[in-house]
Amino acid sequence: MPENSLLHSYREQSNVWDEMFRAEGIRPEYRHFVSAIENLAGLEMTRKVELAKKLFLSQGVTFTVYSSGEGIEKIFPFDIIPRILNYTEWTRIEAGIKQRLKALNIFLKDIYHQQFIIKDGIIPAALVYSCPQFLRPMLNVHVPHDIYTHIAGVDLIRDHDGEFYVLEDNLRTPSGVSYMLENRSITYRIFPDLLPKNNVQPVKDYPDLLFRNLLALADRQGSEATVVLLSPGIYNSAYFEHSTLARLMGIRLVESRDLIVHNHFVYMKTTKGLTRVDVIYRRVDDEYIDPLVFRPDSALGVSGLYWAYRKGNVAIVNAMGNGVADDKAVYCYVPDMIRYYLNEEPILKNVPTYQLAEADKRQHVFDNMERMVIKRTNESGGYGMLIGSSATEQEINDFKTAITADPRSFIAQPIISLSSTPCYIDGVLQPRRVDLRPFALYGPSGIDIVPGGLTRVALREGSLVVNSSQGGGSKDTWVLGPELG
Amino acid sequence: MLSRVADTIYWLARYMERTQSMLQVIRISYITSQDEHRYAGWQPLLDNYGDLSPEEIREAVRNTADIIGHLVFDKSNAVSVYNNIVRGRENARAVQDHITKEVWQSLNEYYHTIRQEDLARQTMLEDPVSGLDLLLRQGLLFAGTVQYTMPRDEGYAFLNLGKFLERALQTVDILRLNKLAFLPDRQHPMGAPELRYVLYALYGHELYSKTHRGILDAQTVLNMIIHDTDFPHSLSYSLRQLMRHCERLKDKSLPDNYEQVHFLIGKVKNSVTYSTISVDDAAQLSQFLLQLRNELLEIANALNKHYFGNS
Repeated sequence: MPENSLLHSYREQSNVWDEMFRAEGIRPEYRHFVSAIENLAGLEMTRKVELAKKLFLSQGVTFTVYSSGEGIEKIFPFDIIPRILNYTEWTRIEAGIKQRLKALNIFLKDIYHQQFIIKDGIIPAALVYSCPQFLRPMLNVHVPHDIYTHIAGVDLIRDHDGEFYVLEDNLRTPSGVSYMLENRSITYRIFPDLLPKNNVQPVKDYPDLLFRNLLALADRQGSEATVVLLSPGIYNSAYFEHSTLARLMGIRLVESRDLIVHNHFVYMKTTKGLTRVDVIYRRVDDEYIDPLVFRPDSALGVSGLYWAYRKGNVAIVNAMGNGVADDKAVYCYVPDMIRYYLNEEPILKNVPTYQLAEADKRQHVFDNMERMVIKRTNESGGYGMLIGSSATEQEINDFKTAITADPRSFIAQPIISLSSTPCYIDGVLQPRRVDLRPFALYGPSGIDIVPGGLTRVALREGSLVVNSSQGGGSKDTWVLGPELG
Repeated sequence: MLSRVADTIYWLARYMERTQSMLQVIRISYITSQDEHRYAGWQPLLDNYGDLSPEEIREAVRNTADIIGHLVFDKSNAVSVYNNIVRGRENARAVQDHITKEVWQSLNEYYHTIRQEDLARQTMLEDPVSGLDLLLRQGLLFAGTVQYTMPRDEGYAFLNLGKFLERALQTVDILRLNKLAFLPDRQHPMGAPELRYVLYALYGHELYSKTHRGILDAQTVLNMIIHDTDFPHSLSYSLRQLMRHCERLKDKSLPDNYEQVHFLIGKVKNSVTYSTISVDDAAQLSQFLLQLRNELLEIANALNKHYFGNS
């Protein structure tokens, strides 16, 4: 077990997979890193923490929290110890995500066209049609290159035996990629030389890959296509990410009031008159994107955008209506989709999930509430969730009542004990739970996943919730090259 | 450039120019109120810069700390210096990729300066002049950073259009605020003391005393504020700059839109250049200032319509 000063105070938890340690000592992928830091004095580590904080603030890497009408900018908490994946683990994750994304994309094409998967009895029609994110206006809409899921941020968690499970597919407007990029650029400032010495694969290609894919969607010959990023504006909590991505790709950052639709073409208002827009990378949700078709009270969308899209005059990334594929009840069927569409066995496992519409399954869940996580099917960000082991009697009863009233809107999953990894907190290493969100880009030339992703960490002791809105932070994620795998 | 971005940059410059002008006027008013027995009181200032009702103003004019607090630090006063800076900074945040990092940082710092409770306490309860000076210095830092770091592109042109339009408007407003000082019956054998404060508020006192030695003369002061092209707060100077930056937009605009704005700026510029206003005719001066103000606002409307896409 750990012998030096920094590591010896570290206490592993029983029955939890630890990313850095195993029974025989430090895992091989962490050895280089540990030998570089184990002899650092505590003071030096603390100084590195301070430096990281200063760098985040001065570069404005913040998200905005609104209270009493005034925005307060906070830095997204960052832990300086990286999370390291070896090459073998990564290859498996990469293959698994590609497989899953391929199947989900075919599913979206199928569900909005012929619906073979329903006709063949793989997925019940009632489940699809009762999903609020199943958008009837998207039926029989042809999307460029048949791609719906251009950008996906798949959430993975690791159980006590080290097995990766897919928790969510996030096919709508996944966020966090700017933190993946920023975390890396902070790491090489606070740990000089460690990245090349460990043969860590770079993540910096992400903006270039994304831009290449966006440009490839433009259907215009002769003149240069205009690609824009549509943001809800500076009051959005992810505005930093929107402006960072726009800057890195060299594209315009627009808001809804910059765009108008004329004669089924989309234009942006410039000081030189109207300029046609070919591709929109939107960070506005489906229901707000066109007040004429979806929510009429939306001020974040563009009137007429849907029809311009339907006519093929503008490409929208991600496609509208993707929510039906990452609905938490449809999620149960993803392994079946993979078998049905690809005739392959799923590489990455699903977390076992109970749908509550069936009375006997519901009863089973009610009998075992303290071992279950209950989630609303259409919520994300750690909201609308109940963790049975830490809930009060009252909360459990409230959920039971809500479930009985509307069982379609809930699912239950057994509590998975997320893997833990050392974090440098209050001058010592302490175990905290983590998940992993790699970002996959699906373009006409195939699927690319930059080696890495966002590792979110539940900074509260014992907590299983990693969402930034609920006290989560993040870590840099290293994927090592084949030599050290 | 996106219309919204141009609009945001233009207003960023207007907010900051307005802030700077307000702070100096408040600073000079405070000094006047301490040092001058013929001081007209805070009332005109509260009329011009605040959002209080006449009754509230009558209530407030008694307490200097309250007045400065209201004009400078009051978050609930929509037109306070504080809110100007908040808006200027939010505008900068929305167009971060069109201004330099240094400009953004200088505004961010300005914002954090005015939020300090210490500063508000010092300005209201201890020494208003040093508190206001601290804020004015942040404004100068912003202006210098723009000058030193911004590329001379379209964004810079809109930044300057906003700045000089606002400066012209502020000069007109300061004249309107003090028009009584120019009246013949206010003149004094030793020179009208109020005129001195008008010059101070416009940073013109040094230039005046260097050029026109001796006792302050109302007509000469007025001529300098309107016509002197070496004086950076004169109407002629602001309008020349406005014209210059407008002309830089020529090859970046639709010809029609450019013509409209160019025409209106030319019109105001000429009505200033070819005016002879005598201080003996108070009604004429009033009328002239009102007309100028309206013509300047017409330019703002034209920019709004032809460049910012807000019809």
